Amino acid sequence: MVCVNSLLVLAGPLLVRRIVDRAGAGADVPELRNLAFAFLAIVIVGQMVAVAVTRSATISAWRTTNQLRLDITRHVLGLDHEFHRRHTPGELIQRVDGDVTSVSELLGRVVPKALGAGLLIGGMIVVVVVIDWRVGLGMLVYVGVAIAVVLLLRHRAVAESSDELGAFARLYGGIEERLNASEDLRSNGAGSHAMWRFVEDSADTLGSSIRRESAFLGMWWGVQGAVVAGTVLSLVASTLLVSHGAMTIGTAFLLFQYVLLIERPLEDVVHELETVQKASGAMRRVAELLAIEPSIVDHGTRSPGGGALDVRFEDVGFDYGDDQPVLTDVTLSIGAGRSVGIVGRTGSGKTTFSRLVLRLVDATNGTILLGGVRIDQISLAELRHRVAMVPQEVELFGGTIRQNVTLFDPNPTDDAVVAALRAVGLDALADGGIDRTLGAGGAGLSAGEAQLLAMARVWLRNADLVVLDEATARIDPVTEARLESAVHKLMAGRTTLIIAHRLSTLREVDDIVVFNDGRIVESGERDMLAADPTSRFHRLLSLSLEGDDEAAVAEAELLR
Amino acid sequence: MNVWKLSWKVSQHEARTFWLGWVLFILFFTIPVGIGWALGRAFDALSNDDSGLVYRWAVALIVLETARMASIHWGALVWTRVWIHMQTFLRANLLAAQVASGGPEAGQPVGSAGEAVTHFRDDAEDVAKFVDGLVDVSAGLVFTLLAAFVLSATNLAAAMVLIAPLVIVAVATKALDSRIKLYRSADRQATGAVTGLVGDVMAAATTVKVNDAAEPLLAQLRTLVDRRRVTAVRDRVLEEGVDAFSRGAADVGLGLVLVVGAGALASGQFDVGELALFVAYLGWLSFLPRMVGRALARHKQAGVAFDRMSGLVADTDTANTVIDRSLPIGIDQTRVRPPIVRPERVVIDRLDVVGLSAHYESGAGISDISFSIGRGDLVIITGPVGAGKSTLLRALLGLAWQAEVSGDVFWNGTLIEDRAAFLVPPNAAFLPQVPQLISDSVADNIGFGDADAGQLERAIALAVMDADVAEMPAGVETMIGPRGLRLSGGQRQRLAGARAVVHQPELVVLDDLSSALDVETELRLWHNLAEAGMTVLAVSHRAVAFDQADLLLRLEAGRLEAT
Repeated sequence: MVCVNSLLVLAGPLLVRRIVDRAGAGADVPELRNLAFAFLAIVIVGQMVAVAVTRSATISAWRTTNQLRLDITRHVLGLDHEFHRRHTPGELIQRVDGDVTSVSELLGRVVPKALGAGLLIGGMIVVVVVIDWRVGLGMLVYVGVAIAVVLLLRHRAVAESSDELGAFARLYGGIEERLNASEDLRSNGAGSHAMWRFVEDSADTLGSSIRRESAFLGMWWGVQGAVVAGTVLSLVASTLLVSHGAMTIGTAFLLFQYVLLIERPLEDVVHELETVQKASGAMRRVAELLAIEPSIVDHGTRSPGGGALDVRFEDVGFDYGDDQPVLTDVTLSIGAGRSVGIVGRTGSGKTTFSRLVLRLVDATNGTILLGGVRIDQISLAELRHRVAMVPQEVELFGGTIRQNVTLFDPNPTDDAVVAALRAVGLDALADGGIDRTLGAGGAGLSAGEAQLLAMARVWLRNADLVVLDEATARIDPVTEARLESAVHKLMAGRTTLIIAHRLSTLREVDDIVVFNDGRIVESGERDMLAADPTSRFHRLLSLSLEGDDEAAVAEAELLR
Repeated sequence: MNVWKLSWKVSQHEARTFWLGWVLFILFFTIPVGIGWALGRAFDALSNDDSGLVYRWAVALIVLETARMASIHWGALVWTRVWIHMQTFLRANLLAAQVASGGPEAGQPVGSAGEAVTHFRDDAEDVAKFVDGLVDVSAGLVFTLLAAFVLSATNLAAAMVLIAPLVIVAVATKALDSRIKLYRSADRQATGAVTGLVGDVMAAATTVKVNDAAEPLLAQLRTLVDRRRVTAVRDRVLEEGVDAFSRGAADVGLGLVLVVGAGALASGQFDVGELALFVAYLGWLSFLPRMVGRALARHKQAGVAFDRMSGLVADTDTANTVIDRSLPIGIDQTRVRPPIVRPERVVIDRLDVVGLSAHYESGAGISDISFSIGRGDLVIITGPVGAGKSTLLRALLGLAWQAEVSGDVFWNGTLIEDRAAFLVPPNAAFLPQVPQLISDSVADNIGFGDADAGQLERAIALAVMDADVAEMPAGVETMIGPRGLRLSGGQRQRLAGARAVVHQPELVVLDDLSSALDVETELRLWHNLAEAGMTVLAVSHRAVAFDQADLLLRLEAGRLEAT
């Protein structure tokens, strides 16, 4: 179709050349008029073909880039916890959607245009060579030089374009973050501060846009200079050849029209080079993103035995590569089916411990075994299947209750979802119908209810090892009572690690492990520790029961 | 809504720059009148076999083209500034409405931040594109008038025949208007759904990972991107189609000129020089209907954009998207941080809540809540999940935007007219259950640029965060990462606590602190607040808090129970 279009565009000026030459040779009016009608027909068909080209190109471009969007999302989801700590969702939206849309504009609009322009210019040279090989040769040299100039100037522009995209990604990332924190900003009277940060980010976008534009203008001068040179050169060549009788006025006119025809695609190229720049900047960033490897490598093939998993830590240490150990010499053995309460101050290493069990991070040294198999020898798919977690902060999705419980998995039956909701005491959600929409960010659910919903997710998964990371912390006494039986049920037949600050949650557990400064400072059966007045756990218990804050603070000091 | 008037205000945000850019564009578009004329003369000379004259016109061509390039070079640099200024102006109005603490400027909070970003990105750009299109139209109009004059003087019949295709382009574009608006709106909605899901997924990356939920989520994303592909193709093809159609008008015009001028061509009245003039102008003449068509399309898109943006600003009134404000973002503009405006401190004596109700559309909410807080009191609210505790705090503070709120709050016996505006530091501060932080330094997250070192230190100590800050590599200047994710949950909660007390507010309002604090930290925090003699209204489930409370309010299904 692109070929047909180019042929039609080439044919137009040839007809005009014939009209000019025939008029000069004294042709009659009907002949000229028929030629003019033929020209008109060619032009109209050409436009229709052009729209058809756009349509099919746009469709295939979006097909391809949609796949790319999914691939990037999959890749980013596989990246480390650390990566997600460093990048805002807004920034990642810009990568997955904004940048890829630039690429899709390139494929859908620019590529067919460039292809058409290439065919047009090639065809033009062929036509001119057939008419006069010397002019044709001149045209070939001219086109070659023009393209070389544009390509030379293009390089600098791409780097600036990448900078500009980066500045915009930061701007939108910042806006997303501020919208997300809108209530905090409003209630703290911090609006003007947020606006100030926005002004600073916007100033960056302006500076980078101007730098990109300057680079782009250099290229524009090149292209426009080439077109002017073409017009003047064709005039001079025509003058020489016409005065020697080697060329007709009609052919001179054809050359002139062809130079004008080159101007259009070249000008398109200049306009679209902006898209090309954006897209190549975008592609570079996407490629950089895709090149980031997750540090968690999935090459495991072994399977631990079925049923509840036992957990063993042997001299495990962990740091973020900065000589500040988060965990040191952790050695621990948890029997299959046991429930263990993990206790300790904020920052004592509890959360990192749970991340190691979930293999969200790999230990710096030492060995971790689940069901007797080294954790890195278990395939991630199996690990994720058998180890579940209720995270510290529950993230909800804009979607239905069902989608939030199943995380968009269509397989669980409605009955299973309803049962999971009831198990955690969310009967109200189950009763109203699970296909109701939950607002984005969990609007319509209190934080306590959101936490319960996260437990329903785990319930539905039926995993062999469950990590409850401060899961019950946000739940009031009434709901907690409802939940306690649910947690009790959840413990049955699986290993459970409960990381909690509220010791009442640990009434049901078998064992207690106390962390302090990245080390295990105490571990043992709950009942034994509770009965031992010299144990840290005993002191913690008495502290939470007494409720006298002076004494509690003093006790807390002891724990440090 | 008057898109023209609103867009005019946007264009006049940086009026001097705008008009300089405009003048340069007009220059750029009128020089081709001379270029076409020179070409026509050159072909005349060529057909008369006068080589010397051809060369002289060729030199004139080079001079004119250079002038044209110079004007666009300068013009493009100026216009880049205008382009960014216009969009920044709109974005600033949207953001200001989203972060204003009450007052006439405050707008409804958005549901999903990821989705709302498209308003800042695409809708602001659509409006700027419309203004851009109008500048093109005005330049095209100047060229067209001059060219029409030259062409009619050359060959009136051939010039007249050009009017038809130009008019057809305008009429056809007009006919496609409603469709363009429809397609654009559908495309934006589909895009919002895609970015909304991607944002949710990225925010919940760890949850997705440990639940091995990537594949079902990607399947959902595939559904959404496929739906968006359909809307995007429709939108783009229509836009390209309108564009190709109007561009083709130039060639159709040449065809018509040839058909009409066949007689004159045969008789030699219509010579090659005149034909060259027509051909040279036609390329440029097609510019106007093309730009008119595009501007009409963009007029509709700008309408959609203003419509969507109005959802973020006060009273969902589009006029509030274009409120004048100073935005010194230029390279040559000096940026001076504006002073932070806060309400006057009114020392609290007592706070009375009278008949406060707040109901969400879902039916949840609170009904007829009345209580009083005296200076230095600790008032604790407790009750089961979903009883309306957070709603009560938000309604009191004027933050329950989506709810229907009634009832009054009195400060020292005086009715607070605009609670959202008055109940901010130094009068009141709020610590929500899940505080949201910003990728900035610890200091800026606590003080928002408005607290000195002494205030920061005091607040950090009060919020039991001093030990953490001491361990941070750069102390209070440590950057905490996007959304504060470099901190632990407890650190984030305590940092937000420091933020709530940094301005020594008369009233501290705390939602459930136990959410992320271990027991001993929370105890210390309660201890510190009591020692500082602060007036506190807090949600809690902890016995230690109950014991200290001067007043215990128990909420059940949105109503106060007798205590």
